[in-house]
Amino acid sequence: MGAALAVAALIIVFAPAPSLAAQPTERRFRIEASSYEYAPPAIAVNVGDTVTLELVSTDYVHGLYVDGYGLNLIAEPGHTERLTFVADKPGAFRFRCSVTCGPLHPFMIGKLSVGPNWLLWRAVALAGVAAVAGLVIARR
Amino acid sequence: MTRYDLAQLPLVKPLLKSRWPQWIIQAIALAGFIFAIIAGFIGTPVGSRNFSIVFVWIGWWALLMLIAVPMFGRGWCSVCPIPLPGEWLQRGAVIAPNIKGGFTLGRRWPNKLRNIWLQNGSFALVALFSAVALTQPSVTAIVLAAFLFLAVGASLIFERRAFCRYLCPVGGFIGLYSQLAPIEVRAKDPSLCATHTEKTCYTGSADGYGCPWQVFPGGLTKNTYCGTCVECLRTCPHDNIAINLRPLGADLQQPTGRRLDEAFKAFIMLGSAMAYSLVMLGPWGAAKTAAYSVGSMAWAGYAAAFLIFIFGLLPGLFWIAVALSKKIRPHPRPLPRKRERGKGEGGTRKAFVSFSYALIPLGLTAWVAFSLSFVLANISYLWPAISDPLGWGWNLFGTAAMEWTPHLAQAAPTLQVIALVGGLLWASATARQIAGDLKYSTRASLPVIAFCAAVAVGMLWLLVG
Amino acid sequence: MLVIGIMIGIPMALVLARWANPAIELRARLAEAGGWTPADLTADVGQPLTLHLTSDDVMHGFAIGQSDAPALDVPPGTMVETTLTFERPGKYTFYCTRWCGLGHWRMRGTIEVSGPTSEPVMEPQPLYVALGINVDADHKIGDAPSQRPSAERGRALGIDLPEEYLSMDYYRAHSPVDLRDSLRANGLSDGDAWDVVAFVWRSNTTSEALAEGQRLYAANCAACHGEGGAGDGVAANALANNQHDAAMQFGQHTQRPADFTDLQSMLGASPALLQGKIIRGGMGTGMPYWGPIFTEPQSWAVADYLWTFVFQYQEAQ
Repeated sequence: MGAALAVAALIIVFAPAPSLAAQPTERRFRIEASSYEYAPPAIAVNVGDTVTLELVSTDYVHGLYVDGYGLNLIAEPGHTERLTFVADKPGAFRFRCSVTCGPLHPFMIGKLSVGPNWLLWRAVALAGVAAVAGLVIARR
Repeated sequence: MTRYDLAQLPLVKPLLKSRWPQWIIQAIALAGFIFAIIAGFIGTPVGSRNFSIVFVWIGWWALLMLIAVPMFGRGWCSVCPIPLPGEWLQRGAVIAPNIKGGFTLGRRWPNKLRNIWLQNGSFALVALFSAVALTQPSVTAIVLAAFLFLAVGASLIFERRAFCRYLCPVGGFIGLYSQLAPIEVRAKDPSLCATHTEKTCYTGSADGYGCPWQVFPGGLTKNTYCGTCVECLRTCPHDNIAINLRPLGADLQQPTGRRLDEAFKAFIMLGSAMAYSLVMLGPWGAAKTAAYSVGSMAWAGYAAAFLIFIFGLLPGLFWIAVALSKKIRPHPRPLPRKRERGKGEGGTRKAFVSFSYALIPLGLTAWVAFSLSFVLANISYLWPAISDPLGWGWNLFGTAAMEWTPHLAQAAPTLQVIALVGGLLWASATARQIAGDLKYSTRASLPVIAFCAAVAVGMLWLLVG
Repeated sequence: MLVIGIMIGIPMALVLARWANPAIELRARLAEAGGWTPADLTADVGQPLTLHLTSDDVMHGFAIGQSDAPALDVPPGTMVETTLTFERPGKYTFYCTRWCGLGHWRMRGTIEVSGPTSEPVMEPQPLYVALGINVDADHKIGDAPSQRPSAERGRALGIDLPEEYLSMDYYRAHSPVDLRDSLRANGLSDGDAWDVVAFVWRSNTTSEALAEGQRLYAANCAACHGEGGAGDGVAANALANNQHDAAMQFGQHTQRPADFTDLQSMLGASPALLQGKIIRGGMGTGMPYWGPIFTEPQSWAVADYLWTFVFQYQEAQ
């Protein structure tokens, strides 16, 4: 049983994700920033899409920094910042405000999803394995 | 169960027995602590550029939650500066032990309060104001100064480290999680302690003070209330104290000594990790502003929801899981007719308290995963804060102009998954073992494990999803 | 004893060091939280004035009105230093240059510079005052064209226009509909007349002025009036709903910002009216007054730029 669980865990971690072969397209998102959220707070694209982000700020100077891609946009009311990039890295990436905009600035967070969130699915599957494994692990 | 006494290693025992290394670390920590209070009051009100916020809630918190607690249990308590000034007054000495004693009424802590309910309450209280306390330097300064005053006051009125043992909100959860730590302070040979009449580990001697944590070191079986201050190492005349390296979570193996106040601490910690992940790291700005605008209707709603969740909903759902577990266990014989009519069914309360100890590893890993998010994203604030701690335009070490940038942003989600999945595995194994302690079948632990899995998946979705 | 000494000594030393510093500490906060502190400074002609600027909340900026000196960003939580020297006495306005909420334009302060006065500097009378134009009067026309008139088409018509119509004085003092009426009186069709008006309007400004106007518009006007001039900037709804706390605080009513793409309204306004509105402000509408901030040429540049929302100016990109 333990061996079966170990094999299952290895498969979950290392099996390559199926590529859902969607045609890369051009996507455009207008994101409104205010203290302390982005609207929309989450955007989703396919791997390989050419994505244009338009950051519109509605109150103060705000930024948008994308984890993993290292992109940084800065906008203020009256000045929309645009940036185009190719979403070549799959996964879920948080984006955060990069210009101090008040006390809760470090918690101004949104999410960019590129393709399915394989990390989350693998993690949930691993969680299932872990829950079962706990029953099986020999008592120390 | 193998234990390896680290004090055997060269240099370890001399370093611990000497009062100087520990005192020097504590003095540096005290200086930092006092500077954090000063910086909070006179420095810039912008949290991310003030030493107070950056070094306490990012720097120290990272040290505590990611290193000190998982690896050393109550290790932070052994170098924490908060009790220091009070202890100097209480002991009438700064370093060398003073038999005569100092200024204190030396009262015994009231029996009714010899539990961690006060710490449960103080943690929940700080949590309600945390959005403000963790982002406004002046409020952090007030909170830290309040801790200092309380600790000094407690030392002047009560014996030993009353603040640390019964009041400190941080100590409440460090104690709970220290049960998981891979190190422990124990007597090597308890039978030797039985023959030692003076019990200098508790009463003190010329070599050191009696246990400030009001614990009898010779009888220690769990880490929960031992502050690893190693006074006992100094006072034991028979060199009977060991600092053991041990398997993780060893204290959870003990079926005895499980208490309701500790059970609730587990819920408070687990629930607040989930609530913070939702409110502070989620995308909903309205929730954050509600948490911040203390005194408003929105904040009242947030506070009510928070308290209901950690004190009501989460334990309530767990109670249901435990009741299901109890149903599943095979009945070896008919239940006795004369039963105590206590709270709920006889036995469910005991099962509830026992099973909640499975939430301890889950809670620790949930806090590690949560902390990884904001620590890695914001640790770069430390560099400018070193050079310009007050936001006054200084540049002491040339790092003031360093820009904010998240570190290891791509590694964080993987680390969080490892922490949460590992925590679930640990919780599941613990639940199964607790089922055995209660004489339930292995299958009976399934509802509790399902609860843990649901929590773990919820945290995964919040942090990584 | 030592600990207490340190606890008291360090903050005292730090605070004293700060007081002893001759530079003036100028704190920026949102207008709702107090704006600039202090808001009134004094200086002497020829004497350098050193300021330590810091923000207590969000990103702000600092600049002196009607000055060429570039604006300075004032980031939160750190200090930036600047030294100003004034050649002439007078009252200078300093203002915030990074949009910081609905109270942003109210974040202003003054520097009173005293010194030996030579001759008093006479402020020229704004043109709208000299012409007796009522800046607040309604200037809607009933018969605006359905499409934006094109300056290029107007030029291509090759109409021989009297000198009077091509002069800067005429342009500034008259609204487009005035010129259209004159042209129609001389036999032009409505469509052609409007195109010629667009051409005349374009000929009274330069590419440089339009570029400057665009820059100033983007920095100062777009947040309310919209990047496309349609009165739909990010602040527009709050102004329309009179939601602005500062409006409440300052006892001022606000309304939806003007739509510069509205041909009915714009074609009945003269450049002098627009420029007057810009420098005088809205008098109870929430429109800021830019007189102390823009130099006279800058205010005309912005007014000139506003016509690009109404007329098609073919600009070489």
